[in-house]
Amino acid sequence: MFKYNFIYEFKRLIRSQWIQVLSILLFAVFSFAVFNGQQKTQKRLEEISSVKEKLKTSEAQMLSVLDSIEQGFQVSVSRWRLPSNPMTIGNKHPRLVEMPPHQWTFISTGQSDMYSHYVKPTVQANDFELSFTEMTSPTQLLFGSFDLTFVIVYLLPLIIIAFGFNILSYERESGALKLLASQPVSLTFWVFQKLVLRFLWLSVIVILTLYLIFSGNGINIFKEMATFFSLIGVICAYMLFWFALAFLVNIFGMNSAKNALVLIGLWILFVLLVPTVINQVGNTLYPMPSRTIMVNKMRSIKANATKKQDEILDNYLRDHPEFAINDSTQNRTFWHRYMASQALIDKALKPVVSNYNKQLRKQQNWLDKLKWLSPSMRVKAALNNTAGTSTTDYENFRNQALAFSEQWRKHFIPFLYNNTPFSSKDYEHIPTYQYRQKAHSNMATIGILFAIALLMFAIGLLASKNLKYKMNLTIS
Amino acid sequence: MEMLHIHCMKLSCATSFYTMITLDNVNKSYGDFKALKNLNLTVKPGEIYCLLGANGAGKTTTINLLLGFITPNTGTISINNINVQKSALKSKQYLAYIPENLMLYPNLTAVENLNYFSGIGGKSFGKKALETFLDDAGLQREAFHKRLSKFSKGMRQKVGIAIALAKDTKVLLLDEPTSGLDPKASNEFGQLLKHLKNKGVAILMATHDIFRAKDVATHIGIMKEGELKYEFETDKISLAALESTYLKIMDYKTLEV
Amino acid sequence: MILKTLSKEFKESFRNGKAKIAFSIVVILLFTSVWLSMQKYNNANKEYLKATESERHIWDNQGEKNPHSAAHYGTYAFKPKQPLSLIDKGVDKYVGTTIFLEAHYRNEAQFSAAADQTGTSRFGELTPDFILLFLIPLLIILLGYNIFTKEKEQGTLFLLKSSGASINQLTLGKWLSLFIPIFLCTTIVFIIAGILLSNLNDYGTFSWTSLISMWSIYIGFYIVFINIVMLISYVSKRSGLSLVIALSVWIFTCLVTPKIASTLAENKYPYPTRQEFQAMVTKDKKQGLDGHNTWNEEAQLLKEKVLKEYKVDSLHQLPFNFDGYRMQKGEEYQAAIYSKHYNNLKAQYENQNKTYKTLAAISPFLPTRFLSMSIAQTDYATHWHFSDAAEQYRIQTQKFLNDNFAQNSVFGDWKYKADSSTWSALPQFNYTPQSLSTIIDTNKSYLIILGLWVLLSFSTLYLTIKLK
Repeated sequence: MFKYNFIYEFKRLIRSQWIQVLSILLFAVFSFAVFNGQQKTQKRLEEISSVKEKLKTSEAQMLSVLDSIEQGFQVSVSRWRLPSNPMTIGNKHPRLVEMPPHQWTFISTGQSDMYSHYVKPTVQANDFELSFTEMTSPTQLLFGSFDLTFVIVYLLPLIIIAFGFNILSYERESGALKLLASQPVSLTFWVFQKLVLRFLWLSVIVILTLYLIFSGNGINIFKEMATFFSLIGVICAYMLFWFALAFLVNIFGMNSAKNALVLIGLWILFVLLVPTVINQVGNTLYPMPSRTIMVNKMRSIKANATKKQDEILDNYLRDHPEFAINDSTQNRTFWHRYMASQALIDKALKPVVSNYNKQLRKQQNWLDKLKWLSPSMRVKAALNNTAGTSTTDYENFRNQALAFSEQWRKHFIPFLYNNTPFSSKDYEHIPTYQYRQKAHSNMATIGILFAIALLMFAIGLLASKNLKYKMNLTIS
Repeated sequence: MEMLHIHCMKLSCATSFYTMITLDNVNKSYGDFKALKNLNLTVKPGEIYCLLGANGAGKTTTINLLLGFITPNTGTISINNINVQKSALKSKQYLAYIPENLMLYPNLTAVENLNYFSGIGGKSFGKKALETFLDDAGLQREAFHKRLSKFSKGMRQKVGIAIALAKDTKVLLLDEPTSGLDPKASNEFGQLLKHLKNKGVAILMATHDIFRAKDVATHIGIMKEGELKYEFETDKISLAALESTYLKIMDYKTLEV
Repeated sequence: MILKTLSKEFKESFRNGKAKIAFSIVVILLFTSVWLSMQKYNNANKEYLKATESERHIWDNQGEKNPHSAAHYGTYAFKPKQPLSLIDKGVDKYVGTTIFLEAHYRNEAQFSAAADQTGTSRFGELTPDFILLFLIPLLIILLGYNIFTKEKEQGTLFLLKSSGASINQLTLGKWLSLFIPIFLCTTIVFIIAGILLSNLNDYGTFSWTSLISMWSIYIGFYIVFINIVMLISYVSKRSGLSLVIALSVWIFTCLVTPKIASTLAENKYPYPTRQEFQAMVTKDKKQGLDGHNTWNEEAQLLKEKVLKEYKVDSLHQLPFNFDGYRMQKGEEYQAAIYSKHYNNLKAQYENQNKTYKTLAAISPFLPTRFLSMSIAQTDYATHWHFSDAAEQYRIQTQKFLNDNFAQNSVFGDWKYKADSSTWSALPQFNYTPQSLSTIIDTNKSYLIILGLWVLLSFSTLYLTIKLK
């Protein structure tokens, strides 16, 4: 039976031009999505390299000034910007802490439109002042972007629905069902085979289209087999899930219009309703801690800390380092005190910030668990992970950046305390940053989605034994 | 009326070795509505049994029962001595069915449709063999490799017969096969059935068309309100007698028999 | 005839289980979302009031301080929730709510809710606008996809036509049978929202006129959708086909077009990154007057200019503290730089808007989306308006502080401390949102586009039915 279904299913799909239309449609939609993704990634790369370029130029200038100073020449730099002062290096010549895109970033915009991809931590600023959010038009954030993830999570299920909502009901409505039912084959198994075949055909089209588009965009799949296969795995598992749903609807369903309505209803449920309801419920049950209140708390703490500093620091000088440097007697005590006061404020603020973050994490973790209620949410998360644009990736970057900021500060503080001038030799030893990609595995998503799909198929196949009463209605 | 009783031949309920289609004391009801009442019916190889009756008399229910599409409340049904309820798929290996309005896949050709349906049933044939079946079924050669979307009902039925032939079927079930056919096509179809009968196929055919029934059937049964009221051997009754009996049963509901 | 058709359609929908279920689900979701939205709105409002009050308290009680220290110490401007955000949350989640106002820097609004949430939140939230914009059009499709095709399938359309019934009246009856339930359910929700909002203690800016304008936008949107769905049902041969076409239209207009629009807008008119933007500002700032840096070229020029103006030869002879004066000039210069760069950004945003407007021609969803959130004052323009107002307040605050410094101290006296009562003399920041007429005026092109959609869809439906 399988052989004949296989041959004739293909013939019928080709002759009804399903495969042709589908291939062209998928090719167009995937191409547009990949093109958009590539443009975004390209822009991100260009930004990072242009900032790097600028830093390099200013670094070269600074090094030549430093060299002149070491040679004993007069330099035309304002005194408080002399590179021999370690604080100048620490503040004016920061390292670039960047999160470059990787080869697969283009598949998903994820959170990349919201967060920055590079920061330049200085010695002077405290961690709280590092901004990790990007300047994006909020309208754009609201609408989202047309990326591969959107196509896969939102549109692909619709194609599957169009591809499989009427396998059985079409036979009934066209009149071929009776002849089919008089054959010595199980109808449920026949529907199962048809859907599995359509799943295979669609998978082949999707994989081929993606392969062609990826290769066309200069992505070497063979170099990154593992990621490509995990991507294909997620897509196929998600498609199988929808085919399994279509199978159940075909088995238990009645006519084509009703099947389509039920499947569209399920699509709305999984893609639109469940995520929004989860968000709403999550935010109601575990409210996000209020940033406004956190700001309030921080202000009061800062106010108190500032009052304490007044005892040790000149109120004005704290705000105006450049004047302090003019005064040669205070030259070294200013930064000393400044850093001391920063440390004081940092220390006082840390509990508030970390408390806030802890609460936020709790809420996010809770919502994370609910992701399984909708495979669409799960798949989107998996694709974001593959692209390295998920919330956890940005959190990972943020943590790395903050750790580097700490390392940077710690590197310069001894210079300050020891009052050692900064030399070009020291420059070779300043810390550098390298982004470490967080490793994600999509195996759980793939495995569980496959399991859910297989379970649904099994339910359909087993339940069909008790479905005799249905035949009564369906055939006569 | 007395005359009719004489011609009425009550067939035995016992399943003979030669019986291909057997309905034994079958009852089927939908809620309060009794679709079939104590139906006993047998068809042997080489017989064409025509079930006559108005709409709702239980003809289609009988065929659906034989196909295993529905299950009886009581009684047993078998095809080639295989219990239909117990082994539905096995029993279907021996039967072929042509529904009232046979539809096949419009974007496959006649040969492809035949190949598909015999294929999923587990039989594979070469191209030559497939064409022979279509030929035997009376389909004109030019149509073999044309898509079904342009076929008339008569042509589609011939493909249906070819499917039955390819299956080497022992039982053929037909539901109103001649309705909507022009007289020529109807006549051709009748000839085809006779040919199958001569090959030893047991044929059960539900129809309104008493003239075609008289022409092709070896046995005729008249159903009303779920009961098999009369059975005849076709040779033993004239067309006129058959028609008047049929009309009487249909018209006078209160008539006690 | 119209009434008969209407009552027949109602009876049919009422007997149709799936229509009843879908309608009830949408209504329940709508009311739940309004209720949830109300809770959130109240909560946010409370937080806003508390934060504003406590921030002002901190400001007022700074004690003796140099005014410029106070300027660096800064204050926060909090964005108030607008009453109609109860219905349409717009971009609220994606923009910051808090702006730090300090000397020398114009800061961006911080702490957008979305930045604190996981990727899940990008799917959207169960808010009234989600239901009004996405689910009610779907409901219209569900109720109306077979409004003509069912008559075709049953063969009753020809019967009706042959009975001499006017097809126009038949259509109008059918149109009303779709419109009335949608109209009633939308209207009731808006009335409830209005009553809830007008019963709030501090509903300050809530106006029924805005609510009614917003309501009429949605009604217009639904009219367009009803016309489209009826048109599709009229030209389709089968119900299934009609459903598929109508759903494709929905997916294209409500889901795909906004994403294409935002992608095109971003590709064509990209925003600079935050770091780039800051680098541009810093570069400009360096070229001009630095209020602190006395060796700055511009500062020297200013000094000479002031000395000439007051006809004195030393800064000590001026009737005010030149340090304060110079800092104020520096502040003004920097504010002008910010204004220039933010205006560039605004120009880019206007360009992006053009892309959205162009695509509104192929999707009635876009004009509705933009009109709804601008009337609710949860759109990007309102955010601009708020951040501009906060910037004005910042400039005003700096002037207040620098003037205090200039007038109450002598040149070189950096040890000057303003009295602790000084701070409360600074007026409070009060954000007055734009008036409805201004909003309507800036969004009139969207209004025209939506109006055209209504007219065109009506006339297409009318002509198709007349000609076919």
